[in-house]
Amino acid sequence: MKMKKVLCILLAAVMVLGTAACGKGESNDNAQNAPAEDTSAAENEDAAPDAGESEDAGDSEVQESAGATGTLKVAAVETAYGADMWTEVCAAFEQSHEGVTIELTVDKKLEDVITPEMKSGVYPDVILRAVGAESGLTETFVKDSNLVELTDVLAMTVPGESVTVGDKILPGFVENSICNPYGDGKTYLMPMFYGPCGLFFDQGLFTAKGWTVPETWDEMWELGDKAKEEGIALFTYPTAGYFDAFFYALLHESMGNDKFQEALRYGEGIWDTPEAQAVFDIIEKLASYTESTTPANANDNDFQKNQQLILDDKALFMPNGNWVIGEMAEAPRAEGFEWGFTALPAVTAGGERASYSFFEQVWMPAGAENQDLGKEFIAFLYSDVAAEIFAKSGAVQPIQGMTDKLDGDNKLYYSIYDNGAVAVMDAFAATEAVEGITTRATFFDPVNSLVTGDKTKEDWVNQIKADSDALRAALKE
Amino acid sequence: MKKKRRSGFIIACTAPAIILFVLFMIVPTIDVFRMSMYKWGGYTAEKTFVGFENFKKLARNPKFYQAFQNSILLIVIVTLVTFCLSLVFASILSREKIKGQNFFRIVFYIPNILSVVVISAIFSAIYDPNQGLLNSFLKLFRGGKDPILWLGSPKLVVYSVAIAMVWQAVGYYMVMYMASMANVPDSLYESASLEGAGRISQFFSITLPLVWTNIRTTLTFFIISTINMSFLMVKAMTSGGPDGASHVFLSYMYQEAYTNSSYGYGMAIGVTVFVFSFALAGILNAVTKRDEIEF
Repeated sequence: MKMKKVLCILLAAVMVLGTAACGKGESNDNAQNAPAEDTSAAENEDAAPDAGESEDAGDSEVQESAGATGTLKVAAVETAYGADMWTEVCAAFEQSHEGVTIELTVDKKLEDVITPEMKSGVYPDVILRAVGAESGLTETFVKDSNLVELTDVLAMTVPGESVTVGDKILPGFVENSICNPYGDGKTYLMPMFYGPCGLFFDQGLFTAKGWTVPETWDEMWELGDKAKEEGIALFTYPTAGYFDAFFYALLHESMGNDKFQEALRYGEGIWDTPEAQAVFDIIEKLASYTESTTPANANDNDFQKNQQLILDDKALFMPNGNWVIGEMAEAPRAEGFEWGFTALPAVTAGGERASYSFFEQVWMPAGAENQDLGKEFIAFLYSDVAAEIFAKSGAVQPIQGMTDKLDGDNKLYYSIYDNGAVAVMDAFAATEAVEGITTRATFFDPVNSLVTGDKTKEDWVNQIKADSDALRAALKE
Repeated sequence: MKKKRRSGFIIACTAPAIILFVLFMIVPTIDVFRMSMYKWGGYTAEKTFVGFENFKKLARNPKFYQAFQNSILLIVIVTLVTFCLSLVFASILSREKIKGQNFFRIVFYIPNILSVVVISAIFSAIYDPNQGLLNSFLKLFRGGKDPILWLGSPKLVVYSVAIAMVWQAVGYYMVMYMASMANVPDSLYESASLEGAGRISQFFSITLPLVWTNIRTTLTFFIISTINMSFLMVKAMTSGGPDGASHVFLSYMYQEAYTNSSYGYGMAIGVTVFVFSFALAGILNAVTKRDEIEF
């Protein structure tokens, strides 16, 4: 009996020790991290200008040797391009920079992997994750001003080459509200893989029916009526979220660049201007031409059914990006189907036609420890060596001369800007987080309700105006 | 002296569990309450204390009320329907002699072991507006009218989610009720039938009162699991759409805490949900309190 009691106590003691050890381990970690976080934050402020100065010297070899050792933590989201290209690029970087090891994290759900460490103060040095993801990872860092300024990277020479990063990147890709989120001319996010967004359609169907691709919205409505007689809807969309690229491009067409920029900063009264009203009118009319079952499948689970409508010739146009081709590669399709791609029709005859350029971004969190090496790595991403590795997987960077190297289908999409379409690359300006208001819920999601008839254009515009007031007040200056 | 040693022994034995409980349940819960008072994006070291500002904003937000309404609607519908169905099925399967009893038991239980992703795929096939099972069946009666958008109409979408949730939950509660019905002695039913009581009055006079304790427990389960499951279902089936019409408590909280970088605000929603579900469970418990009947 006594023996049993002693045994019980012993066992209990072991458990207590176990938990205590657990708890202690945790608090130790925290204790270690807390100061580490502080020092790194302090370092950031000092390090950024320092790095800038050394780059002004313009000697890339000096830089290489300066930051050429250590471990660099790179985290990239795995998209349709696959994970292999990242492994290859990191290997190439390690090869050209002796003494550097890269700890690479590539995952489809990147946030789930890196967030726990970040919460405890350990950040990757370089992160590739675009704005617009559901997790809002990039937006959160932007809203919190929690990024390393990367303006100096533009002045850096691409490792192993003689041009600077800034000269190599296509014009427009850095000077926009995504890369310069605070509108102060400073770059915090660097553009990576891009793809033109526009309207996709079945070229084969147009040829067979003898239809021409409309160049203005008036022609679009005419075509819509013609198609209706044949039982084909004019329009569908994968999810309402795809209206972001569509909306920006249409807004740009209608307003011109100056007012467009004002709209992106939620300018007062901007949504009452005739140009903005024209955009709302077009989307309202488009909703009435939309395939009626679209909203039922306009969610992350079923959106491919909407894309299938194009392949089945049940709808004529959908807004999308060139990744849709890979996404639907295995899907059955109508006979004679051939992907077609066009910029948005012009608002007025002979007016501007725009195509939104979606691009991913690479950036460094303020908590990054190896900032110099991280910048060196980002500069390396724009080298011909890296670009070629990325291009093999179909990932195209906005680099001079890149479109000439493309072939096949890709050439069609990327040459859209050579054929007179205006490239639009901005997005709504960064604000402090405004609780209860997301741009998607305010601007784009209501399109579903417009199609089902549960909301009117007035409801939608009023909501936009009210939420814009709140967002304007929270703009980052 | 002996008493003292005895209580020392008890403390030593329960300490590990208590420590674990405090560390992993109490501390995080308090943390949620604390975080709800801050404006915080989730990743920076700086948090701004805003007091009850998050709750004030929440009280003014129509979208939160919509999510609140949807959650309550789901709790009510799913609980009522699942409760009735699983009770009826359980009593049929445990009292009646029907062929293939085990078969039915398994069939009803299977949805419970399926992952939510599979369930949402099944139901998205059923609800498909053009080729879906449901619309094809209804075509027999409605003819070639416009298809019903089960997941596309803001008015219908919550009910569509509710049906999937009931289908998923019936088996689980059925098994729970069957387990306690199996404990009811057969002699009670025998004497009841000798006295001329029919099946239905046996159910209401014998089965129901004797499994009442079990039912009270499951009512609490219903609240908790509906709040949790509705998040998973909505996430997988509709992503909160169309136009935010199917958001529930937790999907709205997720959207705010992560997509909208308002972690503190998200935690304020969490606190509201916590208080609400606690209160609801408490009320249900009080309302359903009966003198325990023993056999």
